[in-house]
Amino acid sequence: MGDTGVNTLKITLKSIGIDIKLLPDSWASWGTKFSIWPAHLVTACCGVEFAHTSAPGYDAERWGFLPIFGPRQTNAIVIEGTVTRKMAKVVKVAYEQMPYPKFVIAMGSCAMEGGVFWNSYHVVRVSDIVPVDAWVMGCPPTPEAVIRAIRMVQDKIEGKEVKPNIRPSQFDLTKLKPDKPQRPPNPPHRIEFELIKDINVCKPMPNVKWELGQKLVDGFKSTLGNGVKNAVVRNVNDLCITLDSAGRLREAVESAFKLGFDHVKSINVIDLINAGVFRMEYVLGSYMNKELMPVLLTIYFDVPRDEAKVPSIIDLYPGADYQERELYDLFGVWFEGNPWMGSNFLLDPDTPVKYPLRKEYRIPSLKGVVVER
Amino acid sequence: MVMSEREVSINVPVELPTEVKSLFLPIPKNMVEEVYRSDEYLVLIGPAHPGSGHMRIILRLKGDYIVEAIPDPGYVHRAVEKLAETRLFVHNIPLVERPTIAESSIMDHGYVRAIEELGQLDVPPRAQYLRVIMDELSRIGDHLYDTGILAVFLGHSTGYMWGFGLREFIVDALARMTGARITVSFVIPSGVRWDVHPDTLRYIYNMTFFIEKKIDELGTIFTKNPVTVSRMKSVGVLTKDECIRFGAVGPFLRACGVEYDNRKVRPYAVYDQLEWEVPVADEGDAYSRFLVRVEEIRQSLNIIRQAVKNIPEGPVIGSKLMARVPPKERERVAKDIRNYLFRLLIGLTLPEGEATTLTEAARGTLLYSLVSDGKSNVPYRLRMITPSWYNLRPFMESLKGYRLMDLPAIYGSWGYFPPEADR
Ligand code: SF4
Repeated sequence: MGDTGVNTLKITLKSIGIDIKLLPDSWASWGTKFSIWPAHLVTACCGVEFAHTSAPGYDAERWGFLPIFGPRQTNAIVIEGTVTRKMAKVVKVAYEQMPYPKFVIAMGSCAMEGGVFWNSYHVVRVSDIVPVDAWVMGCPPTPEAVIRAIRMVQDKIEGKEVKPNIRPSQFDLTKLKPDKPQRPPNPPHRIEFELIKDINVCKPMPNVKWELGQKLVDGFKSTLGNGVKNAVVRNVNDLCITLDSAGRLREAVESAFKLGFDHVKSINVIDLINAGVFRMEYVLGSYMNKELMPVLLTIYFDVPRDEAKVPSIIDLYPGADYQERELYDLFGVWFEGNPWMGSNFLLDPDTPVKYPLRKEYRIPSLKGVVVER
Repeated sequence: MVMSEREVSINVPVELPTEVKSLFLPIPKNMVEEVYRSDEYLVLIGPAHPGSGHMRIILRLKGDYIVEAIPDPGYVHRAVEKLAETRLFVHNIPLVERPTIAESSIMDHGYVRAIEELGQLDVPPRAQYLRVIMDELSRIGDHLYDTGILAVFLGHSTGYMWGFGLREFIVDALARMTGARITVSFVIPSGVRWDVHPDTLRYIYNMTFFIEKKIDELGTIFTKNPVTVSRMKSVGVLTKDECIRFGAVGPFLRACGVEYDNRKVRPYAVYDQLEWEVPVADEGDAYSRFLVRVEEIRQSLNIIRQAVKNIPEGPVIGSKLMARVPPKERERVAKDIRNYLFRLLIGLTLPEGEATTLTEAARGTLLYSLVSDGKSNVPYRLRMITPSWYNLRPFMESLKGYRLMDLPAIYGSWGYFPPEADR
């Protein structure tokens, strides 16, 4: 949108078709140039360097660049990095709320092509959402680079040619002596998930001696009886129990809770697509019991992929609530008893895939050759 | 004058406004209806708000007291866990540090430790010390960052300037060590990229004194400022029991009186060889959550000084990796892996199994579970749980029962960082 400073500061009398200027052009553009006030819209991690731009180290206010909170009082947006599908709507709304004249600076390689996240299912390009006036490259760009982009926008307001104001040093590649041909390093990407039937996640380390662990393992074996397929000391401070079905989870978790494991460190799903199961993993820990503090108790069990139903444990461990909801979002594992099942949590309702972390959903991968110089 | 009382009924339409659908409110429809019929109301905070990164909080208010807070995260969900399955083990290092870019070194460290545990790689002591120095620098940087954001929340822009002004020194130190201001990617499996010059270490050593002095000055300007104190004291209180039940981690857990720090409880690198304390508070309110972190900055400065003093000489790349370097190059590569990084690490395939590492990031426990299938040179599954994701639930709980105007103070006190939480 070519609407920059000058030609918008006017009133058009539609009926007679006369433009009445509020200010002389040069005044208007001069004023706009030194009052670029961006909306505070930290879309992702580039915000850290953006904050440095306005901090004492670089102090972009010297160029009249001052972040303001509400979009209605601002005339610029700095898109600070990745824009996700969920955020894209917000960016659009914020942009539409701003009064004219308005400018967009897209910051970071994520804003251009996705950067590190180029093959993510939840990332969009900025240029598809709002018109961009200046791009800043880097991951994250340095504050100097952001300031250069501000200068570019100022040039644009003044109607000058918009070009980068540093010139990269150039040299003639054709004159270089050709390097001796480089052998690409050994196969860059070897993704052999199709061959994987099962992964032995409970492999004990050799010669581990840990008395408390052995005692705990024996305790679990006796309380859970034949519900335990396998219980081993994987490493010092690391126990591993495999249950035979999801039905035994409550029992196991309750007995762990009684022992003093008072919080959940992680709930995880490993998708073993060729075996047709999800391997559920619960990692429990303790804060109150001094002896158990360093211990990690890991509980594994398999559930069928096509009917992944697991009892929820949020009545014992309310802290696990959001992890359960997250895993429902990403894998479609249904936690029976969690009232929020069936609704989106992290993902945008428009995400093209359902349950994106399942293995059958393949995202493009950089299988190309990496050549070292 | 006596007025007779009589009941008047006003016909208020209770159809749901149509916006409810277009706003994608992630709450059950009957809850909206219920609120609409009663004398409560819903307030949406965000997604665009003065914090760092974006999230939406849906508040159910009675008067101006918060009855319920429902989070709507995911505005910065970038699928790190899925992308990790398409990249080499080493390529994931820059990826995992993106969610918490302000403390990138700690994020790398946790991930790399998972690789080292699975692959049984050794790390030489000098590299361990360098990692500790970098981690603690990042921790200070991150706490200063949170201080700045908290100040923005409280409308105290001087605090912001101080936080970020001081952060500039940390960033500078990182740039001198690694060449990158923020995204360092310096920790690699079995060591660090290159050795750091003694002059740089001396600079860091001297800088710690400067920062300590400035933290004291910041105390008078912001930390002990009566406005800060009165806005943050006794709001957002969580008891010790609640903190554990809802799963708070890191400084926020320690602010409730639980003395748990992964660096002490499950020591890694050389933390068990250095002397330092774990700051703990008992109040569990917003102010103590902030004070614990200010105190942690001092402890980190202390750790850095000790590490710089005690750092041993030697290689920075482990012997297992060095065995694959041609002998005449070994001396150079042991100090600087450039030119050999890809050759040594690109084909890295880890044995089948799973490794779980706990790392103490600035905002708390950082968990990586790395599953390798033994055949691919990419992870089969990487589970990454960041401190802010743990802290989201206790954060929501701490809002309940307080007033709407306390929300900025409570939000700032949790240092909640959406890119980190959503991954
Ligand atoms: S460009 Fe880099 S720093 Fe910026 S948002 Fe993307 S990943 Fe983060």
